[in-house]
Amino acid sequence: MHPVILYALLALGAVGVALAMPRRTLNVQLIGGLIAAVAGGGAVLALTLAGLDALPNLHFYAFAFIALASALRMITHPRPVYAALYFILTILASAGLYLILSAEFMAFALIIIYAGAILITYLFVIMLATQAPSEERLDVLSDYDAEARSPVLATIVGFVLLGALTSMIFSGASSLPSVDVEAAAARDEAQLALLPRRIEEGLRKADLLEDDETLIMDPEDAYRVLIEIEPVPGGEDRRVVFVDERSGPDRAIELPADLRIRNVETLAFNFLNAHPGTIEIAGIILMMAMLGAVVLSRKQVQLDEEAKAEQTAALARMAEGGGPDA
Amino acid sequence: MLDSVMPFFTLAQSSAPGPFETVTLNHYLFVSAAMFALGVIGFLTRRNLIIMFLCTELMFQAAGIAMIAFARYWLNADGQTFVIFVLTVAAAEAALALALVVLLFRKRETLSAEAWGELKG
Repeated sequence: MHPVILYALLALGAVGVALAMPRRTLNVQLIGGLIAAVAGGGAVLALTLAGLDALPNLHFYAFAFIALASALRMITHPRPVYAALYFILTILASAGLYLILSAEFMAFALIIIYAGAILITYLFVIMLATQAPSEERLDVLSDYDAEARSPVLATIVGFVLLGALTSMIFSGASSLPSVDVEAAAARDEAQLALLPRRIEEGLRKADLLEDDETLIMDPEDAYRVLIEIEPVPGGEDRRVVFVDERSGPDRAIELPADLRIRNVETLAFNFLNAHPGTIEIAGIILMMAMLGAVVLSRKQVQLDEEAKAEQTAALARMAEGGGPDA
Repeated sequence: MLDSVMPFFTLAQSSAPGPFETVTLNHYLFVSAAMFALGVIGFLTRRNLIIMFLCTELMFQAAGIAMIAFARYWLNADGQTFVIFVLTVAAAEAALALALVVLLFRKRETLSAEAWGELKG
């Protein structure tokens, strides 16, 4: 499929969504919704049929643009709720970048934990800790939201920092030692060899095992059969060798090419095997935060004298001007 | 064997981001640095306590992107493991900071950071 078709479909979807927006004068929401649904369905169908003949670099630029643009909008938007929503957009775009970097587990954890939990907490607090707008001043922002504090100076500071970081990156990253790809691949194979169930499942799916064969034959002696993965000499394939400790290597099967360790498994090996204790540390951090939050929120707080006087004055003004019930 | 895996496996190395051919480690580091700078600017300019904490979350996020990019570059999962800590610390910070913000709001009925300008120490 030509990508132009996909982009045309997406543009059509955009038109549909724009039409579906609530509007005062001409209400074409239903038509817009239908157009958007047709375009979206067509795009999904086309992508599935084309096997995602994708443009990975374009994805990077798109996600980076969305992340940075919404981050900019977040720090400039005067209304806190909108700022939080734009931050959620930044999070989603970052999750896209994580996906390009093949960190699938962290991408979805980011969406669930950050966008789903942390940002919702922020939204709750924004709604809790906001003065109720008075009747005649519904749209007026608070002073501290409407005006930035020394914007020029802060921008200079931020961009000097960015310039320093950028020049460091461009002079430093090219002098990094090159990566030992073969060692990394060998480590992945060694980790895959620790997962006999995965290998068995993969071999069975590729019809390389007979129906009555299993990798772990004796449940009482589960590690009797050792698995080694080694490259086939002179070839491009890998094969799995089953070593019976008593009788030596007895059988070798070539592994299907797509039977490789997955991101979640790599992360799990790194998390639980290479760095034991990380879960405990994370748990302690979370528990301390929970205790602190409980202690803080149990405290009874009296309104300041100053703030109380201000509040009564505002109430009096409201009553004078007719009040909300008048 | 490795040749077939290479394009999915490595992140090319170069001195500066070229046009559209390859995306290098530097691209990701630049996005991360720009996001961090935006977070700093937001933290300095905004006067709303909640938005200031949101800006620290933005800086966390920038650090996370850098760590994931390095994890990919070195082909190991150490960076990804560390991002789990970033998430943990962000959650802990959200809980504590927001509890504090609610306390401060109850005391002064305002979210302005300047209302607390007389704090010493």
